[in-house]
Amino acid sequence: MQNQQQRFSFTGTGSEYFRIWIVNLLLTIVTFGIYSAWAKVKRIQYFYRNTWFNGSSFDYHGSPHAILKGRIIAVVLFGIYNVTVKVAPLMGLAIFALILAVMPLLVLKSFQFRLHNTSYRGLRFSFVGTLKAAYVNFILYPALAVVSLTLLSPLAQQRIKRYQHGNSRFGQTSFSFNAGVGGFFKIYFLTVLMTIVAILVVAAGVGFLVTHQSTMPAGNNPQQIMKFVAAAYLVLILLMFFVAPYVVSRTQNLVWNNTYLGPHRFVSALQARKLFWIFLSNIVGIILTLGLFKPFADIRLLRYHVDSMALQTEGDMETFVAEQSQEVSAVGTEVANIFDFDIDF
Amino acid sequence: MTSVAAFYYDGNSSERHALLLTPMHDGLELQGDQLARQVPFSAMRIAAKLGSSPRLIYFADGGHCEVTDHAAFERVLHEAGFDAHSLVAHFEGSWRYALAALLLCIACGLATIRWGLPWAAQLAAERIPYSTAHSIDVQAMRAFDQGLLQPSKLPTARRQLLQHRFETLVNESGLPQFPLQFRDSKPIGANAFALPGGTVVVTDDLVQLAGDDNNSDDEVIAVLAHELGHVKERHALRQLLQSSVVALAMTWYVGDISNLLAAAPTLLLQANYSREFETRADRYAVKMMRVEGIPVDRLADMFRKLESAHRTEPRQSSFGELFASHPATEKRIQDLYHNHADD
Repeated sequence: MQNQQQRFSFTGTGSEYFRIWIVNLLLTIVTFGIYSAWAKVKRIQYFYRNTWFNGSSFDYHGSPHAILKGRIIAVVLFGIYNVTVKVAPLMGLAIFALILAVMPLLVLKSFQFRLHNTSYRGLRFSFVGTLKAAYVNFILYPALAVVSLTLLSPLAQQRIKRYQHGNSRFGQTSFSFNAGVGGFFKIYFLTVLMTIVAILVVAAGVGFLVTHQSTMPAGNNPQQIMKFVAAAYLVLILLMFFVAPYVVSRTQNLVWNNTYLGPHRFVSALQARKLFWIFLSNIVGIILTLGLFKPFADIRLLRYHVDSMALQTEGDMETFVAEQSQEVSAVGTEVANIFDFDIDF
Repeated sequence: MTSVAAFYYDGNSSERHALLLTPMHDGLELQGDQLARQVPFSAMRIAAKLGSSPRLIYFADGGHCEVTDHAAFERVLHEAGFDAHSLVAHFEGSWRYALAALLLCIACGLATIRWGLPWAAQLAAERIPYSTAHSIDVQAMRAFDQGLLQPSKLPTARRQLLQHRFETLVNESGLPQFPLQFRDSKPIGANAFALPGGTVVVTDDLVQLAGDDNNSDDEVIAVLAHELGHVKERHALRQLLQSSVVALAMTWYVGDISNLLAAAPTLLLQANYSREFETRADRYAVKMMRVEGIPVDRLADMFRKLESAHRTEPRQSSFGELFASHPATEKRIQDLYHNHADD
């Protein structure tokens, strides 16, 4: 049996995506946001159709009407909540609890919508997670994370990823996920450690400044407050540029290196160092161009993510890729109708 | 013969079939090793061009074709008599249109700042009760009293008299009662200004500028009536909201103004009313003066006195005050009488 690695590749370009982005932005503005659903479909289609694996690209079939419907529902829910919270705060709280209670259902629906509308070589992906598990994974574990003051958040994260990756299917082939919680805890603790170091560095800096300007009266001085605000921003920037690439790359690698499609394992080889440069240059570019660099930034980041992915196959790749078949499902069309809306998170 | 290479997938298996697409009358012909079909355009949907990503043809039976050679595909479609033109795709493919879209987006952004923002600020300001906005005043006065403004040195009797007349004026206007604030200030000179919550501040210099004659109290009251015009129409609050867009969004969103409090004093210092706000406040002043039986001359006199006072002694701080943005005092005075005659 031969083992081979087949890489994913991305062919979208920033300059091409910029033109699509700006035209759709204008259409969204002049239609007071309605066109944003069409713009979203095009954005995903542009990303998917430029993502290649073994000579074929992915495709997205989401209907703009479904997305628009989801957005209208979200806006209406939000409006109702906002109004009731003004009129009767207690009622608002009840509605908030209600929204929280249906949240796992909405997450499940959006997973189903996203995967059902994704195809490769004409075969659809699908999501078979149960509603009960959605409640456990999106309410129970996050609640545990909150109660434990985020100490258990790696567990919640692992459960959510396991739910998401372990319940996906491509045609008739199931995905599986076998990363334990250990890896998530390791990333979490190293992140906490790096954060503490970053805060200590900033605190030392602020301390230095304060002791060298001891003439300034302490207390409610606006300048003093400004200094602490600036210090807080510095912490944030430090976190973003040093810790975020680390967290993103390690988590992504951990999740995908433990995800299987049938017997074949995914490989993700993101490097924190490269991600750091992409993050940094993207932010600088976006600031210098007052936001116009955003589409280029999106493409650069996406390309790095896609290009870092591969599938390690047991046996012959071409045979595997060609031998998949569509799930024979009587409920296929019905499913499409029920899941005919998408809510963004 | 014109043709284009394509991959075909039947929708039931992931197997890939290489084939050639050739044009036929009102349709396409698919020719591959294991496949030969003629499909009319009515039984397929051709996805609009999206950058240089592959062109896709979806067939009614669930199969689809993937074409990467855009130019050859366009020729085949053209020959088969199919108009694959999509206006949006055409715009997206051209730098000229992208640039035009960019300029239009910027124009929309500027229009939002020019018209949308003031409108939203007005709407948000109307939702905030005076009692809530008054906490901004308290905060701002506290900040101003740390140096910019000093306690008033006017005789108590004079202050009490003006205070009493101001209360009557506020009653007439139907606004909530907040005491008139007397302050002395070198940097801002002869001035009066209204804060978002309805607090009106008048400087010693302004009262002294009005003089000691029979008309002087009327003159001060005329200026205060103008300031009450700003209060009545929530100009200070609207200005404050406009100059802090983020805070405006938050206020709109949560209906909570506490986050405005911190930034308020600084922003109030920078606020200059628009000409429109001043004109409206002038009109309101004229209306109130008529109720009080004060001739329009008193306000006109005050404008002239203030103008010459500020000409000889240039302002040090830009302030949301009476004389921030009006170069043409005479024009403004004429308008006072004009509006008066109109009513």
